[in-house]
Amino acid sequence: MKIDELEQLESEDLSTITSTERRKFLKMGLAITGLYLGGSVLSLTTVRSAHASSGVVPEPGQYPYNPHYSMVIREKLCIDCERCKAACVETNSVPEYGFRTTILERRRALTAGEHETTFMPVLCNHCNRPPCVRVCPTTATWKDKETGIVVMNPSRCIGCKTCMTACPYNARYFKEEIRAVDKCNFCYDTRLSKGKKDTACVEACPADVRIFGNLADTESRVFKLIHAPDTMVWVLRPETGALPNVYYINA
Amino acid sequence: MKKILLFMVLGAFLLTGAILSAEEKKAADTDYDEDTYGPEAPIVWTKPVESVVFQHKTHTMDAGLDCDSCHDDIFVMEAGAAQENEDFTMASLYEGNYCGSCHDGSTAFASDTRCTTCHIGVRGHARMIGGDSKEGGEEGHH
Repeated sequence: MKIDELEQLESEDLSTITSTERRKFLKMGLAITGLYLGGSVLSLTTVRSAHASSGVVPEPGQYPYNPHYSMVIREKLCIDCERCKAACVETNSVPEYGFRTTILERRRALTAGEHETTFMPVLCNHCNRPPCVRVCPTTATWKDKETGIVVMNPSRCIGCKTCMTACPYNARYFKEEIRAVDKCNFCYDTRLSKGKKDTACVEACPADVRIFGNLADTESRVFKLIHAPDTMVWVLRPETGALPNVYYINA
Repeated sequence: MKKILLFMVLGAFLLTGAILSAEEKKAADTDYDEDTYGPEAPIVWTKPVESVVFQHKTHTMDAGLDCDSCHDDIFVMEAGAAQENEDFTMASLYEGNYCGSCHDGSTAFASDTRCTTCHIGVRGHARMIGGDSKEGGEEGHH
């Protein structure tokens, strides 16, 4: 191509674009952004298509693992005897400054100046969408493909504690002895892998507050409890979207 | 003149404060008579599970029971002695022993309901015997 031929060609730089063309282009961009905003950010979806995700308990058959380990906590029966804590400490050598499971306490006012106390056992919720796993920079923690347990590999942990910040349930602590973050793993290494059917805390509970089992098994007690009629089932902090696997009931 | 006014106002405040606090104390202290109502200090059992509380005040002064409603048939006089017995369990309570004599659902709330009314737990016990429990305070904010 010759230089003088090139000089004859129409310029393609921005100076030739008319303001109407610019406006059109911008409008197109806004329209597309608006479409997505309306669809997802503002959630302008119909109620009918949204109802499936409103409950905290998945539909039977929609449990992603098998065994899908889970714990059901019959909250009002907890009396804070803390045998579960003691059993956990002994089984998993938890230091006294940390915990894998603990009991929280709430007070609610009744009539005539009286108060009712509720004890709330808490532990790792082994979420289906675990925020702790997402943030770990060294993949030292992950969701076990078979059981759904959120496990730790302490030797890969660099102690950045990002997972501790990410966890909505405050279920992780930094264990000085191993210089790594430690957490509940449903006693996988200490009990389940050795053929035992439940965790140390479940075995220790004298009031049958904690029930452990496989949700994918429709005959299991955990499944029956959270799929029972007339039962209110709730999880802690559902708004985080982590899809926890520790369910609370009062039945 | 101003100074006197200031002192008067201050004095009035202090005086009302003193009177009010004295009245409160009086109501708490003098109404409760240990000879009539039993020891004021709560009894805490730690066996077979930690920790269960019993208040004489709730049962005698508030609910109107006499000493011989429970002593010595249901409970011996020695505080906390019942926990040494083999049958001091919830199952036994459901059969009408110990607290279950009244806590059967008709005389008083049934002993298989309202667990935390009596079961104050490790936390409740620690709070009762002085300050918040060490772990209790820490666990709240990690």
